[in-house]
Amino acid sequence: MLRAGLSVKTLWQLMEMKTKTCLKVHGRMADLQHAMGAFRWMSSVRPAPVLTAAPVRALIDEQISIKGRFLPPNSPITLCSRMHSEDGDLWEAFAHYNTDASGSFSLTSDRSVGGSYTGCEPMGLFWGLHPPPGSREGLRLRKRNVETPYTVHVSLLKGHVSPSGGPITELAAVTTERSYMAPGVRRIDIRQNGIVGTLFLPPGPGPFPAMLDMWGMGGGLNEYRSALCASRGYASLSLAYFEHKDLPGPLRELNVGNEYFKSAFRLLQDHPQIVAERVGIVGLSFGVYLTLNLATQPGINPSCLICINGPMGRSHFLPGDKGEVKYWNYDERGYIAFRQISLPSNMAPEYKVKMEKINCPLMYIIGEDDLSSASTENADQIEEELRAAGKSHLFTRLSYPGAGHLIEPPYAPNARVTMWRIKPEKMVALFGGYDAPHAAAQEDAWRKILCFLESNLRG
Amino acid sequence: MDKEQRCVSLSVHPSRGLMDEKFIVLVQKVLPGFQLTIHASYHCEDGNSWEAFAHYTADASGTVNVSQDTSVGGTYCGVEAMGLLWSLRPVPGSKPGLRLRKKNVQTPMEVTISVYQGHQTEGFVDQVPLASVLVERWYMAPGVRRIPVTEDGLTATLFLPAGPGPFPGILDLWGGGGQLVEYRAALLASHGFASLVLDYLTSKITMETGKMVDNQYFETAYRVLQQHPQILGSRIAMLGLSLGTSITFRMAVYSQVIKLRCVVCIGGSHVQPIDGSVKEILTFVSLNGSKVRFSEKNEMIWRDLLLPITTDPSFKVDMGRFQCPLMLVVGEDDQSWAAYDSAMDMKEMMERAGNSHLLTILSYPKTGHLIEPPYTPHFRASIFRKVGTREKFMVLWGGQTVEHSRAQEDAWKKILVFLRENLYGGTNPGATLLSHL
Repeated sequence: MLRAGLSVKTLWQLMEMKTKTCLKVHGRMADLQHAMGAFRWMSSVRPAPVLTAAPVRALIDEQISIKGRFLPPNSPITLCSRMHSEDGDLWEAFAHYNTDASGSFSLTSDRSVGGSYTGCEPMGLFWGLHPPPGSREGLRLRKRNVETPYTVHVSLLKGHVSPSGGPITELAAVTTERSYMAPGVRRIDIRQNGIVGTLFLPPGPGPFPAMLDMWGMGGGLNEYRSALCASRGYASLSLAYFEHKDLPGPLRELNVGNEYFKSAFRLLQDHPQIVAERVGIVGLSFGVYLTLNLATQPGINPSCLICINGPMGRSHFLPGDKGEVKYWNYDERGYIAFRQISLPSNMAPEYKVKMEKINCPLMYIIGEDDLSSASTENADQIEEELRAAGKSHLFTRLSYPGAGHLIEPPYAPNARVTMWRIKPEKMVALFGGYDAPHAAAQEDAWRKILCFLESNLRG
Repeated sequence: MDKEQRCVSLSVHPSRGLMDEKFIVLVQKVLPGFQLTIHASYHCEDGNSWEAFAHYTADASGTVNVSQDTSVGGTYCGVEAMGLLWSLRPVPGSKPGLRLRKKNVQTPMEVTISVYQGHQTEGFVDQVPLASVLVERWYMAPGVRRIPVTEDGLTATLFLPAGPGPFPGILDLWGGGGQLVEYRAALLASHGFASLVLDYLTSKITMETGKMVDNQYFETAYRVLQQHPQILGSRIAMLGLSLGTSITFRMAVYSQVIKLRCVVCIGGSHVQPIDGSVKEILTFVSLNGSKVRFSEKNEMIWRDLLLPITTDPSFKVDMGRFQCPLMLVVGEDDQSWAAYDSAMDMKEMMERAGNSHLLTILSYPKTGHLIEPPYTPHFRASIFRKVGTREKFMVLWGGQTVEHSRAQEDAWKKILVFLRENLYGGTNPGATLLSHL
């Protein structure tokens, strides 16, 4: 009930008081956005609309429900998400909605009519994040420190606006934290027996089933998928094998061989909190070759294999090596699609994995717009060889139109283009994939991966 | 290890939640009919350990869902989604009279939830569970800002919700134990209310000068809220518990400065001398000291100090002059304050004066004095140190655990709705008076 007795004089007094305090107040309001918002609203007698997100602290693969209330009915609003990567780059997404007759909205049921995505996309503000125009090229969002969450600030703006990285006037805001690690998950640096990696253990006594986790020729050590697997109950070892300072030999060369990968697998099996007979392997990109190759080593019996967008063999050169340059395709910007090199027909015969030796369920995940790896052709080859060996029942294929190379845990932005190398010269790689279908692929694939792990490692 | 132990899956969702948020505890992949114990363990900031446990039998699909299934024994029985938290109790061997209160609201309460084989009642610490997870319970949502307030002689903490505002404001007062108890204000800010919790018994000024604060102290605190650029001065409420309720009544009715949009009072009374301030209220209460009783366990019962409710108007806040919606929350087994009797008297006063349409009473049977935000443990009595003395007493608060816990959950939900309706609602959305200026 609006107080009818509130006189104009009182309102002016209120405004005057607020002006004086606004000018004093300062350091508590370091944020320009908030100051602008306060000035704009200082004459209103209504509180700001309410923006909520639930859960406000979520795991990376959990959906967050974003809602708003106490807005004018049937009015245009914009939701804008912003975060800074660990490198300090701004990432941003926005979407245009209209409030309903009661002045509310809900991203789990309403449709975006414009912006970074359209349609009903509850998580679009997260997977639709992009560096704003004018940012450095080829950025890829990857969490290096998995022990802290991504802090994503979601703002509610008036009207249908396009933020483009500049200042915005918020009506309301909510801060979400998205983590790769559930409470109680333990992160352990592994530097033993020559193995370089990070082990993640779920909370509790165990013993747990486990996954060996390998990425591609980008090198280094990506921990986040392993951290998330551990948060879902699977011990996981992220394994470095290329371009990591703790690995032997010169950087830019593959200095580890079969024995290295076998040791890593055995490290998992020998761990007192891991069930030796329940260890699987997951690989992405060149990690697929390593996964399949390891699975066919004598004495190595994984429970299951997950292969994402990678080759079942290799050439004499390493992927990305100049020796393969004749297979590279360039687009009009000079960006490189590596795809051709991973066609089975371009592989060195001695490096092609003998698929008839695979004895466990294998899930192959394809992004049909993968410009970096000839995923469909490799999946076909694998399927054919398994069929010929009477092992079709082991093979599962997931194929996603419009998805690119980096099919990762869900709700992370896709990198269609990525800065591959800076030295000795700048190389920008094309990974492919379009935002919406890639996001759908990640969500669906992850769900199916978890089911696959459940049946094969816990069934 | 046998097969059951390898397969057992335990999950709690959400694994990071707010203190008043419900969670779902799920055990899966045990054998159908498997008997198990779900156990919760918490180590306090003060070094004490608390535990709760419940006995379940897995269904035909090898699952136990705490939100749907029946506990057949333990620290709670029946279908109780949050029983593992509200039935927490100090582990055997602990000191008597402990109270679980979080001092540092910027870190979460970390509770370990485990599954043990069979229906067990003790010795958990010596066993290896089948599975175990860690759950975080937070008083502060991300983005909520905690701001100590020391200007104008105040000892207070302001919690601001995330975002630009403006937000409605709440002045939060606790009871006779003094100190700055931040958790309720932090939680209110997580729900969109700028909240200022005020220490009015052990403030810096009182500790330094030995003098109790007067009514102006509360008016100063109100002004801090009113003048804050991110707080809407026309939408301020007061929330009081116990002695804080007494202060709230007197400020709401008699202060020329404090204009409230609504009031919530928990476990308190309007019976007090209407002149003077904090000191006078405390003196008045202690004058009736002879009416203190003791339970058979030698716990102090203060309930009778204000009974019978006086008919003398100079010792009761004139509730007929109340001008805003008022919610009274009372436990019918409150052994510390005569809250129920006071509420009935207030109702009568307001009916006579014709403003009882403003009054809502939430009255809970078998519920004690300390009606707090939900899902923290109930204790019928605890060690309490009254401000100004060095003595500690075992004080009886009252309440039976199950009913008290249900009351906390119900009351909090209704308090939040009441606050939202009065502080956020109440205008035609979109029809702002001068927003085009």
